[in-house]
Amino acid sequence: MTLLGKAEANPTKSFFVRMITRDIALEDCILDLVDNSIDGAWSLEGGRPIGLNQAADLSKYEIKIIANEGCFSVSDNCGGMTLKDAEEYAFTFGRKETSEREDFSIGVYGIGMKRAVFKLGENIEITSTWADGSALSAFRVSIDVNQWLSPAKAKEWDFPIYSADPGADSGVNIQVNTLTPETAAAFSSPLFERNLRRILARDYTLHLHYGLRIILNGKAVNGWQIELRESDAFQSMRDAYPDDADGRGEVRVEIVAGMAAPPPDTNDVEEAEGDERYGWYAICNGRVVMAGDKTAAAGWGTEGWPQWHGQYNGFIGLVVFSSVNAALLPLTTTKRSVDVSSGVYRRAQAKMREASKRWTSYTNQRKQAQEEAKIAEAATRPLSIYAIPARAAVALPTYKAVPKEPSGTINYTLPKKRIQALASALGSINMSYREVGLKSFEHTYDDFVGDD
Amino acid sequence: MGSFDNINYSLRPSKSIERSLVFEGLGRLQAALDLNAQIYVGMGSIWFADFLMAHRLLGIDDMVSIEADDIGYTRAEFNRPYRSVDVRHGRSGVELSAMYLSEDHRQRPWIIWLDYDGPLDEEGVEDLRNVFSGAPHNTILLTTFSATGAAYGKPKDRHERLKRLLGGVVPDDLDEDAIRDGLPETLASVTMDFLTSAAEVSGRPGGFVPAFKLVYTDSATMVTVGGILPRPGARPAAKAVIDLPSWPGIVEPRITAPHLTLREAAVLQAQLPTEVPLTRDNLQGLGFDLKDEQLASYASFYRYYPTYAQINF
Repeated sequence: MTLLGKAEANPTKSFFVRMITRDIALEDCILDLVDNSIDGAWSLEGGRPIGLNQAADLSKYEIKIIANEGCFSVSDNCGGMTLKDAEEYAFTFGRKETSEREDFSIGVYGIGMKRAVFKLGENIEITSTWADGSALSAFRVSIDVNQWLSPAKAKEWDFPIYSADPGADSGVNIQVNTLTPETAAAFSSPLFERNLRRILARDYTLHLHYGLRIILNGKAVNGWQIELRESDAFQSMRDAYPDDADGRGEVRVEIVAGMAAPPPDTNDVEEAEGDERYGWYAICNGRVVMAGDKTAAAGWGTEGWPQWHGQYNGFIGLVVFSSVNAALLPLTTTKRSVDVSSGVYRRAQAKMREASKRWTSYTNQRKQAQEEAKIAEAATRPLSIYAIPARAAVALPTYKAVPKEPSGTINYTLPKKRIQALASALGSINMSYREVGLKSFEHTYDDFVGDD
Repeated sequence: MGSFDNINYSLRPSKSIERSLVFEGLGRLQAALDLNAQIYVGMGSIWFADFLMAHRLLGIDDMVSIEADDIGYTRAEFNRPYRSVDVRHGRSGVELSAMYLSEDHRQRPWIIWLDYDGPLDEEGVEDLRNVFSGAPHNTILLTTFSATGAAYGKPKDRHERLKRLLGGVVPDDLDEDAIRDGLPETLASVTMDFLTSAAEVSGRPGGFVPAFKLVYTDSATMVTVGGILPRPGARPAAKAVIDLPSWPGIVEPRITAPHLTLREAAVLQAQLPTEVPLTRDNLQGLGFDLKDEQLASYASFYRYYPTYAQINF
């Protein structure tokens, strides 16, 4: 057998860049950069599990994001990356097998920063100021994407690192100029900005609760306050246990679930707006990676679980994973969902199912005694998820079926304008159609029939 | 019921000023953007005031007026001011969809002014959204609607109502003033944001350049917002026109033109223009009086102020 030559299998740079940037949303790229900043702050704070009962204080850390039609930047005071970090880790595509970081970080795959900057634009400047002993040092890396991708540089993957003047605080500053057309269009959209603000408020709700400041386009992001409703009859679940990740290391798991709002009166799709809050949330080392899930990712519609239905609105459950080794956490590379094949996640799902089932069965039962249920639901008080006491299971009232008077359903269609005008006159322009129907029936009944 | 049954269009000075400002802006855009063979699409009612201006000032021949009301349609046909005005009987959504598909209409830039009598509602929002997927390059879009508070529910319901109507572009933190006295300005800025975002959501090349934002009060307070959907290369040229300090299409504060007698108007006009702003003292010196905002509005817009006289025949 004679060796004739070698087939070249090295990836081209442009293929590589296309591949890593195609499967991620712009929002998620920005979150990857925020994750890096937070990892810096978290490691300065000593690196420990982030859960619901921490005594963490992140109030001295600030992450500033500017996103507009002309440029993008993110800058922080979260410690910066050292020259060694930059040389050996930060600019490498993918995490080196030898460098398992053990600090409760969320940057798992070693791809976030590169992917983000390539997705955002063509001219990138990254500066880092870090504490080099007692003094501050700084470096700068400039990337001209088109030049880096040019055929002349096909074999050169490295990015040169230059010295720079240190900033006032240790931290990283990433500037992206010459945005891609898609990015520029998104950043000029007020809807994009408002939704990004909502995502930041939701996905970093734990960090924001512990004092971290995130400033988007000059305005602070207010963390989402997650509350569940409690009373003697309505009690949320709060459970915690260690999982040994099939012998690879420890993952701490916490589960909180219960009623965030009473179930709806109507299942009308048109009126189900605002329901994106409900469903399951998964949090990995502090970062929300799955939000308001109503799909098979959280278990809905899989064996033993019903499909999600509008009737279940009002339920919120959180499953919080933390581990010193982020590789053990059940998250996908885009950090936008859970890895459902993970054993850690499957074992958590078994407990999540119990909470889900109690809620779905409650929403079925309450139909037998809706008035009674509404009174009980109204008597609940909101309680922050951080304050919910430990309880093995969700407790909800039970209702027995009572023999019902024979009844009929009235169903009719009218122009929205007229329904809204009547709804407004009856009390609220946002009243559900069902309620408008009931109220107008009662009015007519009183007028024409009088008291029963 | 069409608004022709309750408003005599020709007696609304603020509306008249708003229309003049819009058409001055449209004229400047026509000159700067090389807009050949434009089509004017509007809701001419029975008065066709905007159609008269489109033909006289902008030289637009092809015009389409959409009228949903049955009697309104007959009267509109009767009152058609030019041979080339095509009055279409139907709901705006249906008529516009047909025009987006028409070969002739697709090749030419439009000015489309969706001038609703009532509040912004789901149907209007849908019409606006569809412009971004349907209208040709270099189209200029305007919309006018009522900003009367009650039409958007009671104050406590208005934030929710706006969210349901316009979606995620409505900020999560609207204060008390923004849904009460400031509601017209809130509606103007949120609708403008909605239009800017709709361009991005529909992936429209060239996007949307905000160009018109006017709040005006005659008997009711109305809002007009709009902008340009430029051909991709024309975005900088469009922005350059809007960025000029003299751009007439974005006006603050509200236009609240007073109803003046001919004598008052003539005396006031003779004091203008002036470097030093006119005061009520000046006015009292001239022998009459107005509210501060009326005086300010007149001084800002006197060049566009309409003169009315009764004709007996």
